[in-house]
Amino acid sequence: MADDVKGLSAQLAQDPMSLVFLRLAELLRLRGQLDAAHRIALSGLERHPHLADAHDLYARILADKGDFERAFDEWDMTVRIAPSHIGALKGLAFLYFKVGDVDQAVMHLETARGFMPDDPGIAQALAVVRGGQPAKAAAGPAVGGPGQEAATAATAAPMEDSRVFAGLEGAQEGLLLLDAAGRVLGGALRNPAGQDVTDAVAAYLAGVSQEAARTAKLLGLGTWTGLATEGGGGHVHLAQPTPDALLLVVRDRATPMGRLAIVAQRAAHAARRWLEQQK
Amino acid sequence: MSTRAVESWTLDPLKRFVGEAGARLVLLMTPAGQVMAQHGFSRAVDVMSAAALGAAIMASTAEIARQLNQPPFAALTHQGDRHGIFLGAVSTGRGTIVALVVYDLDASSAGLVQLFFEQLAAELKAASPKEGVPKQVLAADFERELSDSLNTLFGR
Amino acid sequence: MTAAPFERALNLITRVRGVRGAMLVSAADGLVVAEHLMEGIKGPAVAALAGSLSNRLGRAMEAAGIGHSVFWHLQGTDGALLVVPAASGILVVAVTEPDVNVGLVRLELLGAAGVVG
Repeated sequence: MADDVKGLSAQLAQDPMSLVFLRLAELLRLRGQLDAAHRIALSGLERHPHLADAHDLYARILADKGDFERAFDEWDMTVRIAPSHIGALKGLAFLYFKVGDVDQAVMHLETARGFMPDDPGIAQALAVVRGGQPAKAAAGPAVGGPGQEAATAATAAPMEDSRVFAGLEGAQEGLLLLDAAGRVLGGALRNPAGQDVTDAVAAYLAGVSQEAARTAKLLGLGTWTGLATEGGGGHVHLAQPTPDALLLVVRDRATPMGRLAIVAQRAAHAARRWLEQQK
Repeated sequence: MSTRAVESWTLDPLKRFVGEAGARLVLLMTPAGQVMAQHGFSRAVDVMSAAALGAAIMASTAEIARQLNQPPFAALTHQGDRHGIFLGAVSTGRGTIVALVVYDLDASSAGLVQLFFEQLAAELKAASPKEGVPKQVLAADFERELSDSLNTLFGR
Repeated sequence: MTAAPFERALNLITRVRGVRGAMLVSAADGLVVAEHLMEGIKGPAVAALAGSLSNRLGRAMEAAGIGHSVFWHLQGTDGALLVVPAASGILVVAVTEPDVNVGLVRLELLGAAGVVG
């Protein structure tokens, strides 16, 4: 583990904008090095103020340090950025349970269960909260607390790219499949500098798709079928291959938008087929 | 974040407004500053301060409108670096309700708050009890009613 | 700058067949700057939602390293929303029928963004 910290620290030093700060700070937190974790997390948050996972991580560290008021603020910010963020919903539930507000604790856990019905941690937390048992140590992993369970929920490993988008151009770096909660199911993304930005982009996409759906509904545009964007450094196409999945296709500016739409159609077809096989 | 109401008919419209507009803090109150519902506050002293200040702002701007021979302004917005504040009034069967809304500029905007405030206003109007003029509150009653309201607003 | 160039720019957009309305929106606060809308389209709603979606999309694109958005297009089963962010922080927005000529509308939006600055 010491090597892991060293390795991650070196990566972060090399690229301060990298999201490796999330893993490094979490590792330090689990080792009990809260001051160091706090510094790393805060620095990362200053660079990525809109990243839900960064706010969630910072909240966990604050809760471990006993600063529950600020932890509350950070988890509140997390759910504002990403309303389906399981870690934050669990964290808020933990804090409410800690002050004896069982109703609010249950409400937040039920909301989390709505997004992840099969999560055993949430079911366990609900059982404890409803049973009236007090929360264990301030930041313990029990009761769906702000410890490991939140980390586990937030860091589900993506499937290997090839299994979802096998045979499609850009499968390794320009195609991303997410579930409705914004968790990566397959694919990967790299920025023009070659850095892996999968997690960072995934964190924002759930919010984008929810806003797209709301916009289409309230403006009478019907059901949204696609969101295409032309950027200074590339083109992006976001679609919903199924109601519970999001597909992102990214290409450089050399790919015309029309062709991008065709690539997106093929990728959506592959994604639907793969999702069907998982049932 | 907790959403609580002294007047229960305000609760569902308030929850929907908070969800759609992405508001961080909301107070629903009478023009005199008596709080009917709140979202996002964690301390009673903050609620009291915000209610008093919000009521004072509304009273000041109403006086400006009066001196301009205009009807009272429908809404006010202030915007800072990270947060915005919105104040709006709606007439209901229970009398005028003032909404004080604080929102993060990262999560919402003046346009979104105004858009969903219209929906909130319509829902409050539809849900409000159609009662007569409320009884006059004596000073002794006021202290007790304020204390009772704060307990309800914080779930104690 | 007077309102006349804004009006001209919006007129050129709404002349494209299938465009139901065009407007200029302040991206930061989602408020209407100027509008030219057919009946039945709620300007404040378009402004607020286009502003919000534009901001969220911008953050996702920044995270992806794609840079700022030049044009975006939300397609729905019953209509579409097309937006070009201008350098001044104004969004040029068109609300359209679902089968509009996107390329043509995009060109007019880019032209209007040049006028707005």
